[in-house]
Amino acid sequence: MAAIRFLGLVLVLVTADLAAQQPDTERGRQVYERWCAACHAVDGAGEGPAAGYMLPRPRDFTRGIYQIRTTPGGDIPTDDDIMRMINEGMPGTTMPGWQDQLSRADRQAVLEYIKSFYPPFETMAAPEPIDFGRAPRVSDDRLEEGRIFYDSIECWQCHGDTGRGYGSSAPELEDDWGYPIRAVDLTKNWKFNGGGSVEEIYRRLRTGMDGTPMPSFSDLLDADFMTEDQLWSLAHYVRSLAPDRPPRVREVIRADRVEPGEVPTTVADERWDEVESFYIPLVAQIIVLPRWFDPSVDAVWVQALHDGNEIALRVTWHDRSESPHPNWMQWQERVLEVMEPREGDLDPAPRPDRLAVQFPRSIPSGMERPYFLMGTSDNPVYLWQWSSTDDAEPAQARGMTEIEPLGGSIASDARWEAGRWQVVLTRSLEPEDTSNRLTFERGTAIPIAFYVWDGDNGEEGTRGAISSWYFIYLLEDAPISTYVTPLMAFFLTGGLGLVVVARAQKRERALETASEGPDPTTPTGRNP
Amino acid sequence: MRDHPFWQAILVFIAAWILVRWGIPYVPPLVGISSAPVPTSVELQYMLTVLVGILIWVSDNEVRWKRFKEPIRNVMVQPERKWMRVAFLVAIPLLVAFVTYDTVRPKVTAPVGLRSVHPANPTSITVDGESIILEGLENPFRAEGRGDEAYALGLDIYYQNCMACHGDYLDGQGHYAHGYNPLPLPLRGGGTIAQLTESYVFWRIAKGGAGLPREGQPWNSAMPAWEDFLTVEEMWAVTYFLYEQAGISPRTWEEH
Repeated sequence: MAAIRFLGLVLVLVTADLAAQQPDTERGRQVYERWCAACHAVDGAGEGPAAGYMLPRPRDFTRGIYQIRTTPGGDIPTDDDIMRMINEGMPGTTMPGWQDQLSRADRQAVLEYIKSFYPPFETMAAPEPIDFGRAPRVSDDRLEEGRIFYDSIECWQCHGDTGRGYGSSAPELEDDWGYPIRAVDLTKNWKFNGGGSVEEIYRRLRTGMDGTPMPSFSDLLDADFMTEDQLWSLAHYVRSLAPDRPPRVREVIRADRVEPGEVPTTVADERWDEVESFYIPLVAQIIVLPRWFDPSVDAVWVQALHDGNEIALRVTWHDRSESPHPNWMQWQERVLEVMEPREGDLDPAPRPDRLAVQFPRSIPSGMERPYFLMGTSDNPVYLWQWSSTDDAEPAQARGMTEIEPLGGSIASDARWEAGRWQVVLTRSLEPEDTSNRLTFERGTAIPIAFYVWDGDNGEEGTRGAISSWYFIYLLEDAPISTYVTPLMAFFLTGGLGLVVVARAQKRERALETASEGPDPTTPTGRNP
Repeated sequence: MRDHPFWQAILVFIAAWILVRWGIPYVPPLVGISSAPVPTSVELQYMLTVLVGILIWVSDNEVRWKRFKEPIRNVMVQPERKWMRVAFLVAIPLLVAFVTYDTVRPKVTAPVGLRSVHPANPTSITVDGESIILEGLENPFRAEGRGDEAYALGLDIYYQNCMACHGDYLDGQGHYAHGYNPLPLPLRGGGTIAQLTESYVFWRIAKGGAGLPREGQPWNSAMPAWEDFLTVEEMWAVTYFLYEQAGISPRTWEEH
């Protein structure tokens, strides 16, 4: 009896195991159509109903071309490669990770289903992953060697000297499907499609990114142009272009106080190097019509100083071109063609880059702030508007489409260099006309928000990158009470302690005297 | 020392603090119950209660009270504990001074904002020129059994318009979600739309952040007023789709 039961159990286990190995096509189809098809399409060709709102476009599974692999350029990926993309998603794109969302079995089923869109997966031999070896330790010499190869194998053609993705070929890049594709900004490794570690960068260098203009450099190893070790140096150098950690988002920008007249008013002023930078993420304006789903700027860094009379902001952001730039016209045409006309036509035209810094007209009490997206008709906002072709000026907005200049100008200095804009805006803390313009008070959190438009990306008006409300806080010299109060607390507490101890000792002595006396029952001191 | 009331009191106090600070947030999850750190103000209240309880216990009986005070008295009076006495007389005022400084020093902080996540809905709204009474209102797709049609239509609308913020998985983790404050709501789970009727969700979709009533402000919500983008039918379809895709059911009018 027991033996039969044991045999039965073995049978159940074996069949269960077989079932697990069999691709569960029906299950894969269900999971795919529910969670993947909106972007990748029911037929797997990557043109699902939501695909037009995305750049880069969702992967077309019917051609077997995959960017992130461990296999040589041109080869199909391994199952583990595909599973990694399903699990972790593709940073810097619209593809999220599904590891915590779908069960292991569902992910496995959908992996098999995805492969079924490209029949050669079944007939081709299992692909062989490259042996990447281990990352050597980083050193100054290695980084220098990496930099030399960055130059000699011409990474800068697309990525630019500083790695910010503004190289001379960048405006012409397209993927294998003909869509415009940006040369990645190597200084933001947290947005690398295949991960930002030095190991992952090395893998991309070895395998290339199929379907994109990023080639494999394994052929340079085969041709003895460079060694694996030198390619690792290049990977280390690329990694070193980005900070150790992704920037942290903080809600309050701190404006330190400097001596009167010491506020730097130019971009190049070296005093800015000492000022802390605050990272503000920007996202697409997809709230009012016409929306824009493909802003090219994803963040600004803000530095601020004041001297009691004036405030200066230095806003820095990465932008691949100084718009309007003739070389980038074709980029704009191609982007507008694939992202438009979705919400009304926009013709390619020379457009400037723009920045707007938004404040309330007066500091609100409590949390009541104007609507974050450029205010409303009954609660407008106060703006500093800067453009790459014009002076900076103050303005008032009653919504994104109703912006009117307030007259006058805002002192500004701007510079585009190597894929980066830096703009300094300066104004007195107290405006001459306070009716529509903010008075900067010190020692309080003042709402602030940012907008950036990349003209060569076809951005203007409601098409651009926006932030929500943050705060700026102008530090005041600490009032004298900040130091006096703790000192008083110290002496008060200390004095009180001394009194308590003195009293206890007095009572103790009294007790001792009493116990030596004739009548020990005489009450002394307080009764507990 | 083990049965000395002074050290027992200190032990109980520390144990209570560890329980409040780390026990409450980290122990229940071990048995599958979700928990969260205790806010500082509540922690202070708990610890005050513990302190009062300890004081009542030690003073409840004359002998224990005397023994409790003994170590304190010893430090204050015994000649051989002079250095300990001096150390306390310096350390305690220093601690007080530091806490005072930390309280009065200028801090770079944002004001704290509270808002009502699900403010009461109006009795009726006007969409596309037509007045809609929300009370008792059903999703026409659900009422007419046209669920499949609503799901197919709603899926396209959701992934074209809502996904960037509310996420592929309806978990509030869309690729642009991080840029908005307040963060876009997760739609799955029991905390958001599962508690609401479809007419409420329809109202929130149609009127967006700008259409929130006063108690829902400050309305920094980035939720667009979808009546500007979608037809009434499309908004009902996407409402149906949200529940279906998130695997939850709307609250029905009978439950009210």
